[in-house]
Amino acid sequence: MKRSILLSLAAGVLLSGGAMAQPKEVKIGLIAPLSGPWARQGELMRKGAELAVDDINGSGGIQGLGGAKIRLIVGDAGENAEKAKNAAQRLLSEHPDLSAGTGAWLSSFTLAITEVTERAKLPWLTLSYSEQITARGFKYVFQTSATAADQAQKTLPIIIKAAQAAGAAKPKTMGVISDNTASPVNFMKFMREKGLQENGVELVVDEVFTPPLADATPPVQKVRQRRPDMMLVYPTGTADVKLVLEKFKEFNLDKGRLPMFGNGAQFGTPEILNAVGKDLLEGFIFSLANWPTKETEAMAKRFMVRFNEPFVGQDPVSTYGDVQLVKAVIEKMKSAEAEKVAEGLRAIDLKGGVAAFYAGGKVKFEDNGRRADAGIYLVQWQNGVPVTVYPPEAAQAKINWPKK
Amino acid sequence: MGDRQSLNRSLTAIGVFVVVYVLVVLLIDNSYYRLMLTLVPIWATLGLAWNLFSGYSGLVSFGHASFFGLGAYTATLLQIHFDVTFWFGIPCGMLVGGLAGLVIGWPTFRLQGVYFALAMLAYPLAFLYLFEWLGYQEVSLPMKRENAAYYMQFDDQRAYIALTLGLMTTAMLISLFVEHSRFGLSLVAIKQNELAAEGVGIDTKRWKLLAIVLSGTIAAAAGGLYAKVLLVVTPPTVFGMITSAQALIVTLFGGVGTFWGPVIGAGFLIPLAEILHGEFGHILPGIQGVTFGIAIVIVIMLAPEGVFWKVRDRFRLGEGKAEPAPGFTAAELAPPPDRAVTSGQTVLDVGGVSKRFGGLLALNQVTFQVKAGEILGIIGPNGAGKTTLFNVLNGYYPPSEGGVRFLEQDLLGLKPNRVCRLGIGRTFQIVRAFPRLNVLQNVVVGAFVRAENDRAARRMAEAAVARVGLGGSRLKQAGGLTTKELRLMELARAIAPRPTLLLLDEPLAGLGHEEVEELFPILQRLRAEGITIVIIEHTMQAMVRLVDRMVVLDHGMVIAQGAPAAVTRDPAVIEAYLGKKWAAHAQN
Repeated sequence: MKRSILLSLAAGVLLSGGAMAQPKEVKIGLIAPLSGPWARQGELMRKGAELAVDDINGSGGIQGLGGAKIRLIVGDAGENAEKAKNAAQRLLSEHPDLSAGTGAWLSSFTLAITEVTERAKLPWLTLSYSEQITARGFKYVFQTSATAADQAQKTLPIIIKAAQAAGAAKPKTMGVISDNTASPVNFMKFMREKGLQENGVELVVDEVFTPPLADATPPVQKVRQRRPDMMLVYPTGTADVKLVLEKFKEFNLDKGRLPMFGNGAQFGTPEILNAVGKDLLEGFIFSLANWPTKETEAMAKRFMVRFNEPFVGQDPVSTYGDVQLVKAVIEKMKSAEAEKVAEGLRAIDLKGGVAAFYAGGKVKFEDNGRRADAGIYLVQWQNGVPVTVYPPEAAQAKINWPKK
Repeated sequence: MGDRQSLNRSLTAIGVFVVVYVLVVLLIDNSYYRLMLTLVPIWATLGLAWNLFSGYSGLVSFGHASFFGLGAYTATLLQIHFDVTFWFGIPCGMLVGGLAGLVIGWPTFRLQGVYFALAMLAYPLAFLYLFEWLGYQEVSLPMKRENAAYYMQFDDQRAYIALTLGLMTTAMLISLFVEHSRFGLSLVAIKQNELAAEGVGIDTKRWKLLAIVLSGTIAAAAGGLYAKVLLVVTPPTVFGMITSAQALIVTLFGGVGTFWGPVIGAGFLIPLAEILHGEFGHILPGIQGVTFGIAIVIVIMLAPEGVFWKVRDRFRLGEGKAEPAPGFTAAELAPPPDRAVTSGQTVLDVGGVSKRFGGLLALNQVTFQVKAGEILGIIGPNGAGKTTLFNVLNGYYPPSEGGVRFLEQDLLGLKPNRVCRLGIGRTFQIVRAFPRLNVLQNVVVGAFVRAENDRAARRMAEAAVARVGLGGSRLKQAGGLTTKELRLMELARAIAPRPTLLLLDEPLAGLGHEEVEELFPILQRLRAEGITIVIIEHTMQAMVRLVDRMVVLDHGMVIAQGAPAAVTRDPAVIEAYLGKKWAAHAQN
């Protein structure tokens, strides 16, 4: 053990030309909305990052750098892209020695801050979905989540697979109740263009409303008449979700009798649980880019205990993973220099270990910075907890799908 | 002249300010502070744009994000879809912004006060949803690796500072020249009282439209640069409530109605918010918003008109020194030759004018003539319809029946500013002063109607001020004048364009006995100089000594007219004033 530390120290000295000692502290940046309308999500990201930092520092820091400790540098992205960009600029000017960073949750924030980090050649990880983030020819941005289009493409096939795996017949018909805001419209756009046809699914109910929804009776009535095999329920506002689910209950289509699904982390928050309630949510499925799995349950448990959260979602898991990933790369490169970390991220090809914190369980980045084969998970509300139910290698529980 | 002096002083101040700003930029090499130095001029420019319209004209716009956002999106989409450089895209955006000003202003100016402000609020909200619907939720400007400068992309942050500082300076200069021109004074007049502004001959709609177009153009330029600095455009960042509010906040904080206001406001508030955010944001997220809010509340309470005015009042800056007033020739005082009248000619012919407000008959078949060179008094108890009569003569209300001819020209259907242009001056019962302007500036507003250029207007104003005997106080701020001086100032404003006929609405109200005595000779002198005067009063006593002839109104009807001595003995008049009982007494 001692020998290896000595060796790595020697290697480190050699690598840095022998002129400088290795840094005692490795700085990792986190920019997340800590104030404003998305403060809760930012808070969850920060908690995830803190847990990772404490886990690493508690187990001896970065071995490859002589046990260097990690220090998390946090910036508040605030409520708009300007504030987010300011936060990035401030972080960089106060800490020019950052090794890497992660953030900033909302795609438009991420677009703005990566304009700054790219120019500073700082490797930046992000869980944001927008395709644009990695469509700008940037070299230092690493997108860990499946992009929005990717998610729209992958959701239907895996829903069908999940249904079949649960012993049900292949769903052939689908209904939609969604609002006309950007996310559902874009999600449905792909389905309408080819997704439905490719997967052999017929759209039998197509109800799009302008929020807020006044009365859910007419659309749900139509669903009852046509009886699709499954339903895409995709209102953006929590109140509208509740209205639709209540109506399904009234028509006796709740509790998984009619499989319902949506897309995105907003369907899996403690807030929606409080607002909509455990019973109405029971059986509801949503697809998304990341969630705890049976492999990462241990981290999730520690998170829940430490921060007194009812369950763990995408934001803490991904951010925890990002910090661990940067640590792993620094270990591998034996350098905390931003340029080296970027190099390491570009070259990485991981399976298992840290990669378990990302859907699909693999970490390898394409040239444009997108994670190759970024998977998605299906998560289902079961007894007031959203648990991963698909794919089987990640599933924490079996999916509830009526066999008919 | 005083005004030229203050213009030069302001130009010097702007020059010094820019030099200091550049020095600060050269001293700072922290990239974060440089970003602040880039953003401050952008928000200051948006504030200047807002101030140019709302600050001067008083029409509060909650919707300047419309122009800002259109500027940002125009330049951005041109680059994304057509590979057009921002050097050309921003001017295109300005064109769109100006056009939007016209399209938005035209229908919205029908509304007044809060209704206007609320309607303006709706435009950016509509744009926000429109651009989201169009699929422009997040537009990111691509990084150009070749020909970067051609795409307005620089490695050195100071290049962006130079651009935004240049834009802000341009906006300051535009504001300065507007402030010192007929444009600015007209807007200020509209702000103080739109009706009164019409009354002194200002075409309010035209100036307002011009202001909103100019303002929209400048705001769009700021939006375009903002997009270039931020590199990401989303509807909430450019069309959001916060953006419109930012324009208001920096201006209200720094000072409304002066180009220094937005600059002071942005220069102080933007860095303050960021420093709070930076220093305390990670300990107490959101604390910057709270502190920021409290700071604004305190400033608004201590300096309700903004920091600039508070400081100016505190040190009494900007008060000009009294200079000897220039002399004037008689030709400069009399009505212009094209409107010369001969004594005894009928100047104004009021024929059977009635005015109905719903069921109320405010004027009933009022008929009388005004002869050149006379002082005619219109008297009557409160509510007799005197002011309504003036408003009809001025064109504020169209008569329900009857007609008014002025020097053989029909006044029917003319707007107040047209009536004024023909040569009818007017003062108001309640003095409509522009408190932040000095006496001369107040009067210049009135002179624009007849002046060919700003210089001539100033000369006419000087003459008018001298004529009413305010020469000594002509550079005093109107806010500090006595009631008598205010009356005289308003009188000067009405006579500045050298009208043929002057309508005075209760010029003696609120004056003491001695002050009334001082006013009389001035009015008599004006008459001697060739101005025909119609004066409204309800105090009979004073009128008897001043006027040549009287028209007595009661319940909207002419109950008597003639020489003062005859009218005061008329039983109908006595009855109107004192009741039937006294009418009987008077006869005995």
